[in-house]
Amino acid sequence: MSTTNVKMEFYCDENRCIECHGCDVACKQAHHLPVGVNRRRVITLDEGIIGKERTLSIACQHCTDAPCEQVCPVDCFYIRADGIVLHDKETCIGCGYCLYACPFGAPQFPRSGVFGTKGSMDKCTFCAGGPEETLSDAEYKLYGQNRLAEGKLPVCVSMCSTKALLAGDSASVSDVITKRVLRRGNR
Amino acid sequence: MKNSLRTLLLLPLMVSAVFAAENPIWGEGRITNIFGYGKEGSTGLGPLFTLLQNQYFVPIFLAIIVGVPAVFLLHYLVIGPKVFPHGGKKIKVFSLFNRVIHQIAAISFIVIIPTGIVMVFGSFFGGGWFVTLCKDLHGLFTIPFALVVIPMFFMWVKEAIPNTDDIKWMMILGGYLSKEKKPIPAGKFNAGQKMWFWIATLGSLVMVITGVMMYLLDFDMSMLVSLTGLSQIDLLRLAAILHNVVGFAVLALFITHVYMSMFAIKGAVHSIIDGHMEEEEVRILHSSYYKKLQKEGKI
Ligand code: SF4
Ligand code: SF4
Repeated sequence: MSTTNVKMEFYCDENRCIECHGCDVACKQAHHLPVGVNRRRVITLDEGIIGKERTLSIACQHCTDAPCEQVCPVDCFYIRADGIVLHDKETCIGCGYCLYACPFGAPQFPRSGVFGTKGSMDKCTFCAGGPEETLSDAEYKLYGQNRLAEGKLPVCVSMCSTKALLAGDSASVSDVITKRVLRRGNR
Repeated sequence: MKNSLRTLLLLPLMVSAVFAAENPIWGEGRITNIFGYGKEGSTGLGPLFTLLQNQYFVPIFLAIIVGVPAVFLLHYLVIGPKVFPHGGKKIKVFSLFNRVIHQIAAISFIVIIPTGIVMVFGSFFGGGWFVTLCKDLHGLFTIPFALVVIPMFFMWVKEAIPNTDDIKWMMILGGYLSKEKKPIPAGKFNAGQKMWFWIATLGSLVMVITGVMMYLLDFDMSMLVSLTGLSQIDLLRLAAILHNVVGFAVLALFITHVYMSMFAIKGAVHSIIDGHMEEEEVRILHSSYYKKLQKEGKI
């Protein structure tokens, strides 16, 4: 595996997702997220339409040319060499612009501002922490576990029982999908 | 010039067309029907907001806070202020009620405008606690302003309705290009003040509503949702776009208002402090108003 052109990504195989909500619960638990903050969500599309209904698990998609990064008035986003989109909560002013720009509704706002208004933005970190010192307490408190630094995959992916949710560099992810399609007829 | 203007006007259309096509972020690759993102097609104003905020809003604000004062500085240096002798006969022009309402609005604006500018240039100020404090003050001082904006509207709206004087005033640019003291066609408010009145009341009302929407973010907007057919997230995007665009006008005219009352007409600011204006000043700068007062036998 070369280190250039590595782009980390999530992929949710809708043929496999059984709407068990294991991923979003695992995420909440691992990062001790406050009530109302959901870094990962399981959503149902075309609910109730027989043959069309499917569920998917979504979080921040760590976009290339991330719109959130483009609109932030305090420039608190930074994009790692492996494509993971992270931000600095100490710099964030909780303006909400990133949420308006995001196509996935990923940025979340805990009610920690004045009069219970929105505080610093929180979103999926790909379990890669934040700008604080790697694996420090400060990092853990602000951003949750840094599992990537420990050599592990994001917690949602690790616990997905059907292995619908995948994460990794795009080459490895598409490798898994290709094999699934070839060997098992995309099942 | 004409071409680039046309491109600028067409840009949003072109951009949304481009984004609507195969784009991994805004196009096919996107998952629709996200919780809280409501209906189909709710990317809606997302790409437009992203483009505007990323490329246009900050430079336009910069142009306003540099350009408008620069023009006035030039005016001050080249033409200079109009000075009326103070200490002559005075006419009462603003009641106590007028002044109290105006002062509350003025104090609110003195906080709201600079804190808004700090947020626009948030990265310059490094974000963090200082910009967050400005954000909170921006919201906090909206409360007194919101309380007085409606009374302010009603107490001055009659004087702010456009009439033929305004066209004549515009033709001579309010007489600001010369120091000559010729009577200038204007009622109690001249065309410039009227413009400011409409932006400061109706424009600011838009600012208050859109600002509150963004500040509270997830409050129940279902009434607006059913009224407009937009999803909540699109309403928020619209609020952000409007807040910036109307903000250009409010900022530019606020600077103008301050320059006019503090510098261009020396001492004009006193009229809103003690309610009185020099008779000479009224006769020249608000000649139609002066005639009206004469007819009514008030002078
Ligand atoms: S927050 Fe939204 S826009 Fe930003 S990288 Fe994640 S999914 Fe993309
Ligand atoms: S909420 Fe924070 S991260 Fe999002 S755009 Fe505003 S300052 Fe940036």
